[in-house]
Amino acid sequence: MAGRILEAGLHLLDRQLIDKDGRLAGKVDDLELEFPSGGGPPTVTAILAGPGALSRRIGGRFGAWLEAVANRLRDGDDQHPARVSFAVVKGIDSAIDLSVPKRELETNRLEAWTRDHLIGKLPGAGDAPD
Amino acid sequence: MRLTELLGAEVVDQTGGSAGRVHDVRLVQDGPLIGGFGASLRLDGLIVGRRAVGARLGYERRKMKGPLPVRLLFGWLHHDGRYVEWERIERIEPDRILITGSVTDLPQPGPST
Repeated sequence: MAGRILEAGLHLLDRQLIDKDGRLAGKVDDLELEFPSGGGPPTVTAILAGPGALSRRIGGRFGAWLEAVANRLRDGDDQHPARVSFAVVKGIDSAIDLSVPKRELETNRLEAWTRDHLIGKLPGAGDAPD
Repeated sequence: MRLTELLGAEVVDQTGGSAGRVHDVRLVQDGPLIGGFGASLRLDGLIVGRRAVGARLGYERRKMKGPLPVRLLFGWLHHDGRYVEWERIERIEPDRILITGSVTDLPQPGPST
């Protein structure tokens, strides 16, 4: 049986990612394609999301600046954009449903960094409910 | 490789003839299994054309349904839309994709699902 036919730009790019608990988990900014070891056409292996992925689509000086800021706001020497393996994609519709919680995704890195390094250091931040 | 390395690239043949730029990439879900998603999305080919306006609305694909005036307008705008099967891609360079054969014998894009 022939597989489902999709168009990457029309059906995947800019779609909302929804985690297993129904939380918004980022948007599809780019796709990672890999060539199979046995040869043949490439297949989609991951969704790339966040400023680090979006910056390539924007291009120019602003895109380069955005990528530099995104890289600066990450821990360690991690330079790659947030990556969501296609193995955790549950379904593709008007949004992309994932089978894992948001906290396990790399797309949560910037939010977690901001929480730990900025918001968490504000006086009274510890009083906020979970 | 990233999808955005393909989108917007100019498709040219061996004689330098241009079919326009890549507007979209067609994927078919019949690749090797990938986790819970099942069969992975295999790159089947490129949808190319000379006019970018309305390309993301899907009206350059034949048999696209929609309001008649919009369909006629974008159908006319994208009558030169062509489909490049993966097997015809010779080499991918930055912002340029070289294909085998001539750009004049590329078929029109068929409908997606």
